[in-house]
Order: sequence, then structure tokens, then C-alpha cells
Amino acid sequence: MSFSERPTVQPWRKANLKRRFEILLAVAIPLPLTMLFALLSNFDVNLALIAVFLPLQLIAAGLVGVRAYGKRGIGDAALVVITIFFSTFVLVLLLSVLFSVIVEGGRAISWQFFSQNNVYVSPTTSLEYGGVGHAILGTLMVVGLTTLAAVPLGIAMAVYLTQSQSKTRNLVRTFTQALSGLPSVVSGLFILTIIEATQMGRSGFTGALALFPLMLPTVARVAEEALRLVPVDLRYAALALGAPNYRAFFQVILPAAKSGLMTALLLGLARVVGETAPLILTMNPSSATSLNPFDGGMTTLPIYIYNYLASSYQTSQARAWGAALVLLMLVGFLFGLARILSKSKTTKKKASK
Amino acid sequence: MSQTPVNPPAQERRKLVIKPLSKGDKWFFRSTSIAAHFAFVLVALILGFLLWKSWPVIQGQGFDFVFGSTWDADSDPMVLQLGPMLWGSLLIAIVGIIIATPMALSMAYLIVFMLPNRLARIATTLVDLLAALPSVVLGLWGLLVFTPVASHWAEVLNSYLGWIPIFGVADAENGFMRSPFIAGWIVAVMIVPIITSVTREIFSQLDRDLINGALALGGSRLSTFRRVIMPTSSGGVIGGVLLGLGRAIGETVAIFYVLNLSFDINWGALLEPQGGAVASWILARFGEANGAEKDGLMAAGLVLFVVTLIINYIANVIVNRAQPWRKN
Repeated sequence: MSFSERPTVQPWRKANLKRRFEILLAVAIPLPLTMLFALLSNFDVNLALIAVFLPLQLIAAGLVGVRAYGKRGIGDAALVVITIFFSTFVLVLLLSVLFSVIVEGGRAISWQFFSQNNVYVSPTTSLEYGGVGHAILGTLMVVGLTTLAAVPLGIAMAVYLTQSQSKTRNLVRTFTQALSGLPSVVSGLFILTIIEATQMGRSGFTGALALFPLMLPTVARVAEEALRLVPVDLRYAALALGAPNYRAFFQVILPAAKSGLMTALLLGLARVVGETAPLILTMNPSSATSLNPFDGGMTTLPIYIYNYLASSYQTSQARAWGAALVLLMLVGFLFGLARILSKSKTTKKKASK
Repeated sequence: MSQTPVNPPAQERRKLVIKPLSKGDKWFFRSTSIAAHFAFVLVALILGFLLWKSWPVIQGQGFDFVFGSTWDADSDPMVLQLGPMLWGSLLIAIVGIIIATPMALSMAYLIVFMLPNRLARIATTLVDLLAALPSVVLGLWGLLVFTPVASHWAEVLNSYLGWIPIFGVADAENGFMRSPFIAGWIVAVMIVPIITSVTREIFSQLDRDLINGALALGGSRLSTFRRVIMPTSSGGVIGGVLLGLGRAIGETVAIFYVLNLSFDINWGALLEPQGGAVASWILARFGEANGAEKDGLMAAGLVLFVVTLIINYIANVIVNRAQPWRKN
């Protein structure tokens, strides 16, 4: 019978020792071989990775695949190799950004870099003087002002989208999604027209206004997801017990969705804390510390980076890197907090099951 | 003998209607409704204010504002035409998408179908982290770290594939910097997480039985991916790509650093150190512009807004249609 002649393929079986050895070889050989080749033939390393390593790895993985599973092993191997290749590329890009910011920024950062402002600093001033203290304060104030307006409004939008049964919900959702694609520079131009129309001075407040249309849709979307995760039965139970809708929301749904709404707040913050273009259009940069967001100049970390990057002095670039590290730490902090909060929610859910 | 129904038909869950009964409820719903409709107001305000400011320019320049290719604020009458910048934005976005889509699809496939749970969670966090990188930081990295590397790639590309028009350059001595190619890479880094997160969600909601069935019938991972996974999820993936396109077209600061903005229109020579981007042009000119030119920049912003609004609308319609489980 022809059946008995076919190799018995058992994809569900764990790979045995011999197979594991083959896989190990297929993983280990192509890269050193490519490097050797590049070294000997003076071939460009970047090119060798694509033109030599990738085909070599594909062949090696394909051979293992054929030996293990027959013909279908080729397809398996090809997809696995290509997927891992591209994903590694993404990872390398990300790590390159993080690594360079941490290394280059680490050189500029010191204690007074956090605490001092930039008043007597020229492009050639050594790094021991001056810092981003004023920019950190400015960032916190501008973003804080935006948050004060955007978070309640965003959550109210999310409440409308999840709690009411109005007919315009889909339309509202569509518009919110459309807003989330608003180019940041357009938001800046929009506030600029208002500034010119009303003759108000540029200040931290106008910057906060320009961030508002960018933060609102993010908060609304994440808050909607968070409210949606609350089981609808909880709400019906509250209503059945005679609670009016608003008390059902404030006393039942809100506590249940608290961590999700915090995530919405934090992701909204992370969205706007690094915005540059709208603030350049709507704020007066200043190098002094300012505690009044409603009058006079103010600087945020992204503007600080933007201004120092424009100059080609070594110390200026170092300052830009340092500020980038501070900004990244701020974003990472917000982000980590959001992670922890949303994680504790899922673990709680698992525990209750 | 009485027959008892073996399988009573499952009752459809009753849809409960919630009505505001008390005064407090009415206020509750009314205030949230006002907040929600603020989304319309905001879009209308942005459109209205920009249109009001830029109307004279649009009227004065006519259709040439979009299609012409001169920007001269000193001549009389002023010639403000945005063509090269608009085309440049599109070109960079296309390059970015061509680079980003394979990476994002691989990442999503890796996270959903290959990695064990714990590693998948780490990979998801890393992708989200990439999404959270501020564009000014990416601009900094792009200018000081990535440009030297990418210009080397461009040089290699040019030396081997220079006979293809898009990889050709007029003068190989100019160093291959500040080109649409490099800007496209920077944009790709930004939109990889967007496409990945949409694709990942769609992949994770696919019917596992369908995939396992295809594998059980002797399909390989590759054929399953091509014949089962892609056909069922391609709609959502396209939506994700369009979302990325919207983001890429609106990108400002990072491109501003790594691209040489030029009004000599660059139709597709990716490695040539000249290109355009509407948003970056607004930023670049803003400091010096006054009066009518400023209004011209407002008009550029209006065009940008309308373009991204349309792209995002289409993208969201596609994505929402591809994710029926998110309907309420």
C-alpha cells in the first residue's frame, strides 16, 4: 500500500533529541557563517544580512522542516524565519532608540539638570550649568491644565457611549475616532486662529488648549473600553433595586471601572506629554522658570528638545538628549503606572472566577 | 405519552430599555449627552476657524493651491501653492507603509500565534512602548543616530539597484541624507505599533478551530496564513494600514528634522535629498511667516485636516466592520 510508505508525520509530538539538535544547528550556523563571509569578502554587513543570512537561514530551517514534517515543513520554516526576522528588526529599532537616549542622555543628566532652569545658558555653556527644571514644571502645568478639562469630558463621553441608549451614539463614536486622527500641528493652528481672533497672549494656557483636542479622543476611547468591561448585570441589578441611573453609575459602575479609567487618564497623558508642534505654534518659549500658566512664556520638555536640537553645538545636542531622557522617563513612568493598574484589574478578574 | 421538549429553544436575551425617570437622571443623561456632542462641536470649530482664516488664500489661489508647485511669499501677488508638499507627504507615507506593514504583520503573528503567553505579553508591552515614544524623541534619534545608518543603506541600495528610477540619484556625492527614504523609515517606526495593535486584535479573535482545521488537513503555517488567516482578517489589516497612513501624513516634528523640504517636486526618487511634508512645512515656515503667508499656512493645515479626516473615517469604518465583536 502506498500509505505505509509515507513517512509518519506527527506534528503534535514533542521534538526528540535528534530533532532538537538539528533545530539548534539551523539556528546557530547561518549567522556566524554570514559574518565570516562578510569579513572575508569585504561584503557590506547590512547587505549581507539580507542577501546572505536570510536565504541561508531559510534554507537551513527548510531542511530541518523537511526532515521533520515532509513537504509541509518548508512552509512552516519559511513563515517562522520571516516572522522572526522582521520582528527582530522592530525590536532592534526600538532598542536602538531607547539605548541611544539612555546612553547619550545619561551623559548630560545630573542633579542640577533636573533642578536648574536655563536663564544664563548659551549654546556653549558647559553642561554643569543649567537644566530642564523649568521645562519639567512647564510640562506638568500645561499637561495638567489639559487633563483637568479633557479627562472629565472624555469620561462623560464614554459614559454617554456606554450608558445611554441614544441613537446618535454611533455618530459620536465616529466623530471621536475621526478626532483621534487629528494631526497635532492642525490642533496648534486651530488654537492659533483663536489666539489671533481674541487677541489673548500666548501662555501655558494656550498651549494647554492646543493639547486638548489631542487628549480628548484618547481618553474617551480608553474610558469607553474600560466602562464596557463592567458586566452589564451589575448595572441592571442596581437599577432593579430602584437606584436611579446616576447613582448606579457613581456607586456601582464607577468603582468597578476605576482602574480602567485611571488607565484612560494615564494613556491620555502619555499621548500629549510628548507633543511638540502644537506647543511651538501656541506658546512663547522662555528659559526662566514660570509658575503662572496664564501669563507669559513657558517651556515644556519637547519644546526644549526642539530648540536645542536646532543648534549644532555639541553641548546643545547633549542637552537635547538629556531632556529626551527626562521626557522618556516621564512617559515610561505614566506608561508603567497604566500597565500596573490595568494588570491588577485582570488578575482580580481571574481571582473572582 | 406526553412529549417533553428535549431542547427548549434558548431564549434571546431581553434588551432592557433604560429611561431616565427622576430629575437627577435627566440631568445625568443630559450632561453626558452635551459632553458627547462636543465632539461634533470641536470638529466643526476646527474646520470653521481654519476655513475662516484661510478663505482669502484659497479664494486667491484657487485650485492651484493644491496642485501648483511654487511657494513665494515675497512676489506680488503672492504665489502660495502646496503641490510638492502634499505629494511629498503622500510619498513618505507610502514608503513608511511599505516598510512598516511586513514588520507589523510579523509582529502581530508572532505575538498571537507563536509566542507563549508570558513572552507575548512582554512583546505587546514593547510594541505599546514604541507607540508611546514622543515624535520629538524619534526626531532626535532619527537625526543623530539613524540618519548616518540609513544613509549607508541608501548608498548600498543605490549602488546595486540604482538603475531602477526610484533608487537613482542625480549626484551620488550628496551623502544620501535628508531624503524621503529616511523620512519614510522614521514614519515606519511610528506606524508599526498602530498597524500591529489593530492586526493583533483581529488575529486574536480569529476562529481557532478554523486554523487548527487547516493545519490538521496538512496545511503548513505558510499556507494557513495565506489561505485562512489573511482572507478572514485582511479587511481589518487594511483598516489598520489606513490608520497608519493618517498618522504618517500628519507627522510633523520628526520629519522636519530628517527631511530636506524642497519645492522642486520629487516624484519618486526616494534617495534624492529633497522631499516635502505639509505638516513639517507649516512648522518650518511658521516662524517667519506673517500676514497672508500665515493664512496660507492655515490653508495648508485645513487641507491636511480634511485629508486625514477622510482617511481616518474610511479606516475606522473598515476597522469597525472587521471587528463585529466590538459592537454593543
